[in-house]
Amino acid sequence: MLRSCAARLRTLWALCRPPVGRRLPGSVPRPELRSFSSEEVILKDCSVPNPSWNKDLRLLFDQFMKKCEDGSWKRLPSYKRTPTERIQDFKTRFLDPKLMKEEQMSQAQLFTRSFDDGLGFEYVMFYNDIEKRMVCLFQGGPYLEGPPGFIHGGAIATMIDSTVGMCAMMAGGIVMTANLNINYKRPIPLCSVVMINSQLDKVEGRKFFVSCNVQSVDEKTLYSEATSLFIKLNPAKSLT
Amino acid sequence: MIRRCFQVAARLGHHRGLLEAPHILPRLNPASAFGSSTDSMFSRFLPEKTDLKDYALPNASWCSDMLSLYQEFLEKTKSSGWIKLPSFKSNRDHIQGLKLPSGLAVSSDKGDCRIFTRCIQVEGQGFEYVIFFQPTQKKSVCLFQPGPYLEGPPGFAHGGSLAAMMDETFSKTAFLAGEGLFTLSLNIRFKNLIPVGSLVVMDVEVDKIEDQKLYMSCIAHSRDQQTVYAKSSGVFLQLQLEEESPQ
Repeated sequence: MLRSCAARLRTLWALCRPPVGRRLPGSVPRPELRSFSSEEVILKDCSVPNPSWNKDLRLLFDQFMKKCEDGSWKRLPSYKRTPTERIQDFKTRFLDPKLMKEEQMSQAQLFTRSFDDGLGFEYVMFYNDIEKRMVCLFQGGPYLEGPPGFIHGGAIATMIDSTVGMCAMMAGGIVMTANLNINYKRPIPLCSVVMINSQLDKVEGRKFFVSCNVQSVDEKTLYSEATSLFIKLNPAKSLT
Repeated sequence: MIRRCFQVAARLGHHRGLLEAPHILPRLNPASAFGSSTDSMFSRFLPEKTDLKDYALPNASWCSDMLSLYQEFLEKTKSSGWIKLPSFKSNRDHIQGLKLPSGLAVSSDKGDCRIFTRCIQVEGQGFEYVIFFQPTQKKSVCLFQPGPYLEGPPGFAHGGSLAAMMDETFSKTAFLAGEGLFTLSLNIRFKNLIPVGSLVVMDVEVDKIEDQKLYMSCIAHSRDQQTVYAKSSGVFLQLQLEEESPQ
């Protein structure tokens, strides 16, 4: 009798137990990181509208989604973390395995996706393979402030680096920023939407030259201009 | 109006626009919000007593290199005129009682705003940094440790996070050395990737102040100087803050 009771209790317990989220090896779930440790959050595509997207951003998003219909433009998905296979690939090709700390890697998040909805970088990128153009629609939230009421120059630099970097990656695979040269013409108001329009200008061996401008939604205001140089990483040379 | 102000400012390349139209942008004037002495500017920026939390203080996430170098610079604040800059959650806290010049000031009821480099408040996860400033030499040193939320390539800091730290150090240096307020340009040459969690030492100098622009340069390197992570130069626009009208 006791045995059957125990069996029944065990079944009950198995049913009541909350589903275990898959945790990455070596990581300890801490309260502030709990929301990021579950598989679903990591694999969520962040480059789709959410409640924090304002009218301008949604309008632009719809315009570009229309452009995707004939296949000339493609929307790029964007995740909080690099998928595990890509991390492994990067490590084995470019790093000295003894030096990489497993624990740190498991806590990591892509910088531009380290914020809750609407507080930091809200963005989506669209790519045109024929024209080699990468367009980023970007809405900067209140955690990106610099001068009161405006976006921090460093946040703008981060978004420019991400956009031109993606443009170079589409053409050259794994690349690293070598030079970034930004001219700030006008400050960008906090919570407004801008378009970062980037273009692959030239390829010379392992060098990829990309330029971009940052404009208002109606294309009437030029906020900044930038040029950049990316270098395709050489698998024969270790980074560490 | 804002656009016009910046069109004028953007013509600084020729300098004439700003100098010929003082009614659009206030000319630098000794009898200004800062008064004629840098002391009053510093006392606004570095309040002796404040309830605000200073994030530029050691915490459990700081690596041993960062802690020991911090101690070295603390000694210099006693002996050779260096100042440790406080770092508050919002830039507005640094300029209490002051605001951007009229025409640029935007009323912001955006709720909780944070300065970008203090956007991630969980200890050790985002930007851990402290800036020391030497007013006579017009030099700064920033000790910066990027956390795992600043990642770009797996295991390394996002290029944008270093750009942000450089822009922020330039910004505070420009502000205290010569009322610099807005970034005009940033030019960064990246040399080596920065492993997440390692210490970056950034040496910043004001090279010259000319035609209402501050020109600065920066070298970001490892503590032992063996690795140079990046070199950069930045140009900032001089602009005076105005007194906030009493409410």
